[in-house]
Amino acid sequence: MADDKDVLRDVWFGRIPTCFTLNQDEVTEREAEPYYLLLPRVSYLTLVTDKVKKHFLKVMKAEDVGEIWFEYEGTPLKWHYPIGVLFDLHAFNTVLPWSITVHFKNFPDQDLLHCSSNSVVEAHFMSSIKEADALKHKSQVINDMQKKDHKQLWMGLQNDKFDQFWAMNRKLMEYSTEEEGFRYIPFRIYQTMSDRPFIQKQFRPVSPEGKVHTLGILLKEMYPAAIPNEGEQKRYQAVIHGIEPLLETPLQWLSEHLSHPDNFLHICIIPVPTD
Amino acid sequence: MTGKHAEMSFGMLEETFYHCCQLLVQQSQQLRDSWSWVPLQGSQEGYLKKTQVRSVVIKLSPVWDQAASSSDPGSHGSGHSQFYPQKKSAHVAPCDADSVSSEMNDDDDDDDDGICTVSEDSIQVLQYEYHILYSCSYRNPVLYFRVFTLEGRSLSLEDVWRSVHPNFRLQLQNSPLNTISQQEHPLLGQPFFMLHPCRTEEFMRPVVQAAHEQHRPVNYVLTWLSVVGPLLGLDVPLKYHTQLQSAAGPSSTEPD
Repeated sequence: MADDKDVLRDVWFGRIPTCFTLNQDEVTEREAEPYYLLLPRVSYLTLVTDKVKKHFLKVMKAEDVGEIWFEYEGTPLKWHYPIGVLFDLHAFNTVLPWSITVHFKNFPDQDLLHCSSNSVVEAHFMSSIKEADALKHKSQVINDMQKKDHKQLWMGLQNDKFDQFWAMNRKLMEYSTEEEGFRYIPFRIYQTMSDRPFIQKQFRPVSPEGKVHTLGILLKEMYPAAIPNEGEQKRYQAVIHGIEPLLETPLQWLSEHLSHPDNFLHICIIPVPTD
Repeated sequence: MTGKHAEMSFGMLEETFYHCCQLLVQQSQQLRDSWSWVPLQGSQEGYLKKTQVRSVVIKLSPVWDQAASSSDPGSHGSGHSQFYPQKKSAHVAPCDADSVSSEMNDDDDDDDDGICTVSEDSIQVLQYEYHILYSCSYRNPVLYFRVFTLEGRSLSLEDVWRSVHPNFRLQLQNSPLNTISQQEHPLLGQPFFMLHPCRTEEFMRPVVQAAHEQHRPVNYVLTWLSVVGPLLGLDVPLKYHTQLQSAAGPSSTEPD
């Protein structure tokens, strides 16, 4: 069990070295130096980039500054996905540091949610946790918590306090001994090949016959192309937190250990690089 | 088997949702309402869609004190309506330069007429686009929507709240972000507003139970819509329900 606790820590403290550059079309008073930062995989872009914003605002006039947004190689980055998901989905097989372009004008209304303050991130985060618990426990655990407990989850994430977060999140990961796991596994499967942003359905950790559902079984059901047929070459990688877990890994274990703080297991399907 | 029973009383099944939507569209055609079903290619999934143009009373003063809950002092645009930006240009940062200047002109015109300065509210004609999707997490329907001005500019969350009828607004503004929030449309990947579904189960359960006991037919989606729709000016004509009553029979929709 001690090993499993280490997994939670490793996931929490995962970092991505990132280089932020100001978009060339922004009006500046002098040249803007790039800004380097280690981004926490489990957090959100708009939550951890105050310093980036401050850095670039120094060279800009207030009237040229609109709502901040981020872009990677022409793709606006959705701040409401965890940072690690954005990286795995768009930049997994590229060299580090991850190079993100910062914009202060022409906010892409059609692609991105607005994020005027941290309270918007908080609302989004809590709504994901609630949704996950609706799947796991019919909302019973999250509804039994008090407002201050909800706040503890959020503050844990916002202030990067692993112990504070997990002291409460532990309860969201419990299930009765009569059950073999959660009611349904909260998961989302992302891919960039179609307009549909992700796949999310009901999926149980164990089949009605008592067979343990694995990552491979989930993918076969939800995204068959991700699993190569026998003798075929692998076309896709299924990535969680920057690694490819074995397809034999039980989903229940993955859900308890590799979920993001929002309590969802985010799985990115990315094409195998051709070289 | 008790577990199975408990399972069935929680929300509605996906299949039932599609069936309810089908019935609703049929009725909509008869009643010359404009609901339609938009299928997602290659699956049975999809969503109900309706668009309508409404004239709405917009409250011009701030609808809630976002600054109090905001921990980001550099946040932009809170507290001021896009319709009538404040005179200080520094406060209208989210708009691009062109739209700011044209709006400022409009604003000035209004001042000349003496309307804006007298009235606290204004009337706007807006285009609403409503989508009804099935949430497999909550096992319930969810209302997504977006709102445009007639020039095609999309409304901010703040402005959406300004357009909500005061009766609802006053009740809900204690937790505005938990009631209506901007979310990604799960099938289209675009920003929409969403009426949060986490309380749906609570208010639907007694309705469904009562209907069961009285052996009345009930279209779950329709009943749900008649509860949440009015919040966003989406009225469900009574005829939908009377029609459902008169058509009661073996074909009626049973909630699961």
